[in-house]
Amino acid sequence: MLMVFYLFVSGVLGAQQIDILLKGGHVIDPKNKIDEQMDVAITNGKIFQVAKNISPHQAKKSIDVTGLYVTPGIIDMHVHAFNGTDVDAYIANGLTSLPPDGFTFRAGVTTVVDAGSSGWRNFRLFKKQTIDRSQTRVLALLNIVGNGMVGRYEEQDTTDMNPQQTAYMIKKLFPEIIVGIKAAHYWGDFTQVDRAVTAGNLANVPVMVDFGEHQPPNSIEALFMQHLRPGDIFTHTFSYGPTVRETVVDDSGKVKPFVLQAQKRGIIFDVGHGGGAFSWRQAVPAMQQGFQPNVISTDLHAESMNSGMKDMSNVMSKFLNMGMSLQDVILRSTWNPANVIKRTDLGNLSVGSEADIAVFSLRKGDFGFLDVRKTKLKGTQKLEAELTLRAGKIVWDLNGISAPSWEEELQKK
Amino acid sequence: MLSRKLSIVVGAMAGRSLVGLLFFLPVVLQGQQYDLLIKNGHVIDPKNNIDTIKDVAVASGKILKMDNDISPTQSRKTIDATGLYVVPGLIDIHTHVFVGSKADKFADGIYSVSPDDFSFKSGVTTVVDAGTSGWRNFALFKEQVIDKSQTRVLAFLNIVGSGMSGKPMQEDVSDMNADSAAFVAEKYKEIIVGIKIGHYEGSDWAPFNKALDAGKKLNKPVFVECHLPQYSLENQLQMMRPGDIITHSYEQVSERMPVVDEHGKVRPFVLMAQKKGVLFDVGHGGAGFWFSQAVPAFQQGLAPNSFGSDLHRFSMNAGMKSMLNIMSKYMAIGMSIEDVVTRATWNSARSIKREDLGNLSEGAVADIAVLSVQKGKFGFIDAGGNKLEGNRKLEAELTIRAGKIVWDLNGLAGQLWKQ
Repeated sequence: MLMVFYLFVSGVLGAQQIDILLKGGHVIDPKNKIDEQMDVAITNGKIFQVAKNISPHQAKKSIDVTGLYVTPGIIDMHVHAFNGTDVDAYIANGLTSLPPDGFTFRAGVTTVVDAGSSGWRNFRLFKKQTIDRSQTRVLALLNIVGNGMVGRYEEQDTTDMNPQQTAYMIKKLFPEIIVGIKAAHYWGDFTQVDRAVTAGNLANVPVMVDFGEHQPPNSIEALFMQHLRPGDIFTHTFSYGPTVRETVVDDSGKVKPFVLQAQKRGIIFDVGHGGGAFSWRQAVPAMQQGFQPNVISTDLHAESMNSGMKDMSNVMSKFLNMGMSLQDVILRSTWNPANVIKRTDLGNLSVGSEADIAVFSLRKGDFGFLDVRKTKLKGTQKLEAELTLRAGKIVWDLNGISAPSWEEELQKK
Repeated sequence: MLSRKLSIVVGAMAGRSLVGLLFFLPVVLQGQQYDLLIKNGHVIDPKNNIDTIKDVAVASGKILKMDNDISPTQSRKTIDATGLYVVPGLIDIHTHVFVGSKADKFADGIYSVSPDDFSFKSGVTTVVDAGTSGWRNFALFKEQVIDKSQTRVLAFLNIVGSGMSGKPMQEDVSDMNADSAAFVAEKYKEIIVGIKIGHYEGSDWAPFNKALDAGKKLNKPVFVECHLPQYSLENQLQMMRPGDIITHSYEQVSERMPVVDEHGKVRPFVLMAQKKGVLFDVGHGGAGFWFSQAVPAFQQGLAPNSFGSDLHRFSMNAGMKSMLNIMSKYMAIGMSIEDVVTRATWNSARSIKREDLGNLSEGAVADIAVLSVQKGKFGFIDAGGNKLEGNRKLEAELTIRAGKIVWDLNGLAGQLWKQ
């Protein structure tokens, strides 16, 4: 009795220094090697404490997350979010890009990286229109093309691929937001990639390459071994578009040996699912042979949102059902991308870091997952975002686990 | 397509047995008159009083046939919908989808959302924009959103010329013009289904009368939104005609009298208005739906006629989430799934006088939703941040818009990848 009284008093005296306490969840925090039941306490928008049995008396709000997984807020390293009203434009300021907030929080995502929708000429518009107005943290890879992804035709203009301007914009103007450079949709030789790498060296940031529209295909072995640096990113890893894009898995279903060597060398392999860049015939054999992507990402845009891709939690679930462990899935959606974009402040639950947190349920049942050719892989588990916090604020609560009962609230009145 | 069919036949011949040959041969000889066959689903088609297991066949974007047993050999593609509900594509009569890049605005702004981002994953094939645009900017809305969307986008035209462009524009009585509104509504009569009034803080009834005027000229409903703090609820309901629609029906905010009084009783004049034929839309939004209103109202007979979501940037991630989530809330409150589907389809279609929609009649456009009912322990949040628990939740398995599959949650229509 005395004990209870003591606890109660100390709780009150402690003045409820915790804003939100997530109690009883299974924490997966790859950076800190946590993979067990832990409580997570949040104060002033930051992680305050991660420990076993933190008392709810210390918290203004305590949420029971028993049976759920608590992870760092998911980072989706490949999206197109430069939504705008230029109906003739492709991705830059156009309708193919999407405002991120409608897709992120409901999938546990708190940070997205726009993959080159804008270039140095129109990044400011993107920032003003989308980045500054989103609840989601929006970071960006700057396109090596000054106009970004206005249209395929404009993206071929080598006179608009300026490493110096690109690097200036990153280093001198927006080092907090721009985390790398994108080279994509180019029909020619290695010129675009080489310019992007030059800019990457000037700004000390990684380059992401979408290398899929050369006819005949350019050698990805040359790309990995001669043109890219360790830390640079190859996206659309499991794409199967054999006439314009060299695949990582060969015709007999074997991962090409140089692909494994490239990953050893430090080339980062990103999923970048999209509307046309993820095929089971590539991903399943690759996974079976031990070739795992470093980073799981969506390539979210208007053509992928309602197709096989759907959202980040769906893409993560695909890898679970191909046999990747949940711990590996979370690693590749949090701490790995944070490292790749050199934002090690993100993707972890270290004390003091911003409280971007996802709480997932792992649904069991009969599920199906489509690839871009609408072929299906059957599965038995699916991640669903129950609760998402961005900087300590609840921004998604699927089943009201943070909410009081309406009848009890009515009776209080 | 032809060559693929032939190769299947040849494959069967070369493959194993005569049975294979006999099985495949009729397919080729008959031709396949259906593009898509949805088999063994529980069809709820309220217009046609169907609430049983039926097969639905689609061809050239239309419903071609509904029957007890349609042979898969007649269809290019067959989907097994055993255990699922097959219903007309859902209609969300209250959304804000005039999305643009203006900061802090609904009209042409970032407070609106793109319809396709939310519709199909929730079984919705038609949305009605609730007066985000007016006669001055409807053309821009059409060019920028309506013509570019896969979702069917219809609209209530705001009585204010500039639509929901914020203050002071949307309070400008001189910009509210029944003739101009009626002219634009007539010009785009395939899209504009009525007139909307809302967001007026004055006490002058001229705006309300102008909206009614335009509605009468067009013989179309007036959609009455909230945010009319000087108008009493009773007066609004009195002035509304049968068929006019009031939204945010279960709102509990200071600027409009709630329909349920402080003793938990639905006000008699509200029930009388419902009897007269005024339609009550949910209009959930960020602030428009409270269990403390909706539950007693439902128990006392004031059920909503439609489940308008009031989808916009501030409701999408809140308690609202999606139209299916609102429908699931009503199942948790006690409404039957048949009643829920009726309101989300045929009732909604009739309220906007679009009886071509919201049904699965033969010849109708093939807008179809295939829904599953998840069983478990679920929670639903209202605008006050309070929770109601339930044990069922609707999920959109497959959505078809004009015969085309636009959403397939679990790959119902997909072949296994190894095949």
